[in-house]
Amino acid sequence: MSDLISTQDLTKRFDGLVAVNQVNFSLQEGQVAGIIGPNGSGKTTLFNLLSGFFPPSAGRITFCGKDITKIPPHKRVGMGMARTFQLVSVFDSLTVWENLVLSTIRFKRDQQSVQSFFFAPARKRIVVDDCLKSLELVGLEKKASARTSELSYGEKRMLEIAIGLSLKPRVLLLDEPLSGLSDHEIGGVLDLIHRVKKNFALVIIEHKISKIVSVVKKLSVMNEGKILCEGDPEQVLRDPAVRECYWGKEEENCST
Amino acid sequence: MRERELIALLVIAGGFLLITPVLSVNRVTDFMIFCIFAMSFDLLYGYMGRLSFGHLLFLGTGAYCSGLFLKYISRNPMLAIIVGILVAGLLGMLIGLIIVRTTGACFALINLAFNHIGFFLVLSPLRRITNGEDGFGIHALPFGFLNFSSRTTMYWFVLICLVLVFYLLKRVTSSPFGILIRSIKEDETRVKFLGYNTFFYKWVTFVLAGSVAGLAGTLTALNYNYVNPNVMDVHGNVGAVFACLIGGAGSLYGAVVGGVSYMVISNYLPIYIQRWEMFLGFALLMIIFRFQKGIWGYLQSVWEYVERKKTVMKAIGVGAVKR
Ligand SMILES: Nc1ncnc2c1ncn2[C@@H]1O[C@H](COP(=O)(O)OP(=O)(O)OP(=O)(O)O)[C@@H](O)[C@H]1O
Ligand SMILES: [Mg+2]
Repeated sequence: MSDLISTQDLTKRFDGLVAVNQVNFSLQEGQVAGIIGPNGSGKTTLFNLLSGFFPPSAGRITFCGKDITKIPPHKRVGMGMARTFQLVSVFDSLTVWENLVLSTIRFKRDQQSVQSFFFAPARKRIVVDDCLKSLELVGLEKKASARTSELSYGEKRMLEIAIGLSLKPRVLLLDEPLSGLSDHEIGGVLDLIHRVKKNFALVIIEHKISKIVSVVKKLSVMNEGKILCEGDPEQVLRDPAVRECYWGKEEENCST
Repeated sequence: MRERELIALLVIAGGFLLITPVLSVNRVTDFMIFCIFAMSFDLLYGYMGRLSFGHLLFLGTGAYCSGLFLKYISRNPMLAIIVGILVAGLLGMLIGLIIVRTTGACFALINLAFNHIGFFLVLSPLRRITNGEDGFGIHALPFGFLNFSSRTTMYWFVLICLVLVFYLLKRVTSSPFGILIRSIKEDETRVKFLGYNTFFYKWVTFVLAGSVAGLAGTLTALNYNYVNPNVMDVHGNVGAVFACLIGGAGSLYGAVVGGVSYMVISNYLPIYIQRWEMFLGFALLMIIFRFQKGIWGYLQSVWEYVERKKTVMKAIGVGAVKR
């Protein structure tokens, strides 16, 4: 099977600091992968490179067999790459359903015409219905017409994932989707991931390995900008180098 | 939806008709032209979050181009209006390619710089045709039954333009495109990751705002039968900023309410207070610290509060009946 995403010696330097160092990451169609690593190990930077937030200092990125290294972010979205942000990023000044309009109408030919994009009201049946469907998926349909600023952090996170899903991606990149959530909300997000993961490939960055071990088929461990080890989650977690980098410090902390 | 739009248009037109006997036809015509300009400014500032200190460049371009057209090429007023709008739009397309790439202070100042250039151009290098500081008079022929040198005709014509611009911008701002530019105001990067080429849409907004300001310019020229560099004096930009802030940025109603308020203040206050600009400064401080949503925003929150109270009352009432 060919790779959906692959990177060749991908490197990102921030004057002096090498945040991502010659990373060769690959993901297959439909695969669910996890990336873990300590703070500042370059996980978010890797996502930023994949999604085109900034260009790499060196290396190449291939997506669906095409070199996308120099392609701007909005075109990568068009090709089927969607992402969320580590700090939840939704549009607070819009209502909840309005947050979904832009991603929803991308897939409606008739809504793409100049007339309906620029001059017809956004609030019309076929658009709102689809937005509501996306909201139902994450259980927010009751809050559709609330101001987004009134949502809780967990609800905003759900909304952000709903936006990602409504982009009908071939791969969805989730940057720490569980951080800052209560145990109950974490359950909700994991349940959602279980429900939708069959439709596309998924990459999840996470701090708490235990939470995602059950979901991911492949685990990569990053440290200081490099991929330390990757493969089957169980095996990776048994790797001494990983234990050293990941648990080592904690054990030290415990013993002292 | 349709009905609400119609009511809104009628209310606005009715409002202007109501204040006409109190003020005067001339004054209200001026007010309405300024409101058209304020709406175009609000599209950039209130909706897309890009504050420009040089938006008068487009009004000036509209005024000069339609004026020069009337003076040198043809005395057909309708053609002059079209030329004014088109040239202002074209200018927007051209300089928009550069300006739209910037944000924040840079956006404000680069607009200001272009405005200065425009002002300087009509003042000095183009003196031969623009007659520099003194400006030039124009004389438009009647167009059908529309006699543009009549005050009342001008009044009605501007009123219709205002209503049409309001309608157009209302449509545009409630469309998906409207959501897009409001999203750009909040977080442009995020919009890119929804798959939209934000540069293009910012450019479209800039061109639209420029063209509408151009229309305001052509109306200014026709209204005064006269064009001089004052129409694009950079200091005038403060008026638009003030109008949007006092009325409530990010709402067309706000722009109209603010436009009228600013015109009332700047037209009548000087009669009573010599240093009236000082009052403007104080008012601006008040708005920024106490009254951020502006008049319209304030009315809206009162309205929302009342609505909420009503629903709460209803809920209690229904509960009681059930029991
Ligand atoms: N835009 C930037 N400019 C300069 N340095 C940056 C930038 N983005 C990230 N860095 C640096 O790159 C390194 C890697 O950061 P990154 O955000 O990728 O880490 P991370 O693995 O996501 O960490 P966390 O678990 O805290 O989210 C950090 O040292 C960070 O300070
Ligand atoms: Mg991170």
